[in-house]
Amino acid sequence: MSQSDEVSKGRRSFLLQAAATGAGAAAAAATAAAAQAPTPPQGAASPGASPSASPSVSEVRSEGRPGSDYMVDVLKSLGFEYICANPGSSFRGLHESIINYGGNSRPELITCMHEESSVAMAHGYFKAEGTPLPVMAHGTVGIQHASMAVYNAWCDRVPVYLILGNTLDATMRQPGVEWVHSVQDAAALVRDFTKWDDSPVSLQHFGESAVRAYKMAMTPPSGPVVIVADTELQEQPIHSDRTLVIPKLTPPSPPQAESGAVTELARLLVEAEQPLFIADRLARTPAGLERLVELAELLQAGVVSTIPNLMPPVGAGRMNFPTRHPLNQTYRSNAAIAAADVIVGLEISNFFGATNIFIDQVERTTRPAIRPDAKLITLNSTDLIQKANYQDFQRYAAVNMALTGDGEATLPSLIEAVRRLLTDQRKSTFERRGKALAEASAAARERFRGDAALAWDASPITTARLAAEIWEQIRKEDWSLVSGGLSGWPVRLWDFTKHYQHLGVSGGSGIGYGAPAAIGAALANRKHGRLSVNIQNDGDLMYAPGVLWTAAHHRIPVLTIMNNNRAYHEEMMHVQRMSNRRNRGVDRAHIGNEIDNPGIDYAKLAQSMGWYAEGPISNPRDIGPALKRAIAVVKRGEPAMVDVMVQPR
Amino acid sequence: MNRISSIALASLLVVSLGAGAQTPGPAATAGSAARGKTTFFRVGCHQCHGGEAQGSPYSTAPKLGPAALPFAAFTLFTRKPRLQMPPYSPEILSDAELADIYAYVTSRAAPVALDKLPN
Repeated sequence: MSQSDEVSKGRRSFLLQAAATGAGAAAAAATAAAAQAPTPPQGAASPGASPSASPSVSEVRSEGRPGSDYMVDVLKSLGFEYICANPGSSFRGLHESIINYGGNSRPELITCMHEESSVAMAHGYFKAEGTPLPVMAHGTVGIQHASMAVYNAWCDRVPVYLILGNTLDATMRQPGVEWVHSVQDAAALVRDFTKWDDSPVSLQHFGESAVRAYKMAMTPPSGPVVIVADTELQEQPIHSDRTLVIPKLTPPSPPQAESGAVTELARLLVEAEQPLFIADRLARTPAGLERLVELAELLQAGVVSTIPNLMPPVGAGRMNFPTRHPLNQTYRSNAAIAAADVIVGLEISNFFGATNIFIDQVERTTRPAIRPDAKLITLNSTDLIQKANYQDFQRYAAVNMALTGDGEATLPSLIEAVRRLLTDQRKSTFERRGKALAEASAAARERFRGDAALAWDASPITTARLAAEIWEQIRKEDWSLVSGGLSGWPVRLWDFTKHYQHLGVSGGSGIGYGAPAAIGAALANRKHGRLSVNIQNDGDLMYAPGVLWTAAHHRIPVLTIMNNNRAYHEEMMHVQRMSNRRNRGVDRAHIGNEIDNPGIDYAKLAQSMGWYAEGPISNPRDIGPALKRAIAVVKRGEPAMVDVMVQPR
Repeated sequence: MNRISSIALASLLVVSLGAGAQTPGPAATAGSAARGKTTFFRVGCHQCHGGEAQGSPYSTAPKLGPAALPFAAFTLFTRKPRLQMPPYSPEILSDAELADIYAYVTSRAAPVALDKLPN
């Protein structure tokens, strides 16, 4: 008998033993993971154990726990609430250990219908909860499906925690599918846009790397990580001669910018006449929002933040600043940027784009959006994580000062440095400045309200009217906009005050993020009793609509309003641009871009997967009553959809 | 995959429209709002500016009506846009069609009272 045959037989015997004892193990699971204590030695299965005449009898003789039980202990020690997966044979051992040994609790397995949905759910979950949600996937076809969502997470600095199944030992692979589902280096596909990865070759190695991966993912600047769970490690019994330890996780303190540079920045801010902050992915936590408010109020300085798809494109990443704060200059960002003498970019990759105007005509040109004497300063942790291949780091911005450190972690010391430099004279100046900024902000807001009142009764419905109708229904609730920009109207018309009320954009602008990220965030919001609101683009939903079933199956309450404009309008505008530039006219620009003829009935689609759904609605007066009915369903703990026919923009 | 960028009229146009209503010039009165609506959608104006010419903050595409620039300025920005908007030459949008579009955008309904919007 060859060695491989012996090992295979041992695994087969051992597996059925594990199945027979699964129920008991599940009961014990709650205590098994107890935190980072050594795992007791287990009896090893005997590779040479001979099967009896009846496989169903002989295969329950084996002893010992499988390696994947230890993996579950490790995952439990990291505090994961859920784990997302579309099932796959390369992690069948871990799957079984989660649901039986681990009792399908912390983590609870969330059934996904596409690996891209799994990762995007983890992406949205993190931004609502602040902790990672792991994802299991095949090391080959699974990560290939998931890769675009991983790229989104990378660009958005979100710590998605990926566990990839793979069989490295070629002699252990079943001929056929297991070969095409095996790879030498499973993490290679996403290494350009993940922060760290490892392929452990022993269980102890897995434990240490799994804890290290968590630490690496969460240390700002955050990012996705990959751990490969080899099938042999999952399925072979834990050897009795080895004591497995779960390493202790010590969360690192985030890096702060150098103290001398912080003092110099404080001096520039105090002396400035029109200082301005542009915040993008600054507020990692609610404290980041609070500190930015404190700093802005201390200086009576303007803040531009949290507005998606603006030109220049700034501040779409996180909820950094209340939308109706008098110092919020986002409604008039172009004017604020043009007037500022000191501009501080806070965790913004696209600082060049925020301070320049790019013109996409036949000859692409750029001109500054700032005054010639403006001092540009960045406070970023992104310089600590740049890679070369993918170009998410944006165009190089020539600045006067570049502070390297985590923005949120640096704000307290910057605030203290500013306080030390304040004088009564400067405070008086600040007061006048703050009053002028408040007036300008209020005027801009009223201007936008006036714009929203245009075409109020139009059908298809304007994006502004839809945003206003949603706001009317949710404004007295504890709401969270989990996804969807709706042409920027919500941030203009709604009163955003809390960190979880705006979760930002995808990062990589890869379509297919919206629906699963929204449902992942709604999963996190569920236990907090928040009303999760998802404004869902139609084209985005059709990438992987199976996530609707996941929401229904796991009873994830989320209010989804379809932004149903029946086309990929961004792309249609690009084709228009090409057509007119070539003097051919835009009459055919819809070809390849429209999602019509037939139009998709999203309400029926959602209903088919267990959702309450209404629509399509084309009369704006019908939106409010439909939303009321849908919100009632969501409050009962179910997902609900209202499909609304809206204008392109 | 999506490329996030925008097609829009010039910022100068934004500023001009923000300044308030203007009286349409003589050439505009020759246009037909009914024909203009058809052309407005055929040549894709609504993609950025909205079906009622109400504008959109998404792509800094300004509102085009009911208050509008003088027709001469409207024509200039359509023929030779300054920022992201695609240029419309007379070969693909005639002067007469442009006048029809102008008639359409200037005939749009006035905004409703602001007290209809939730605060």
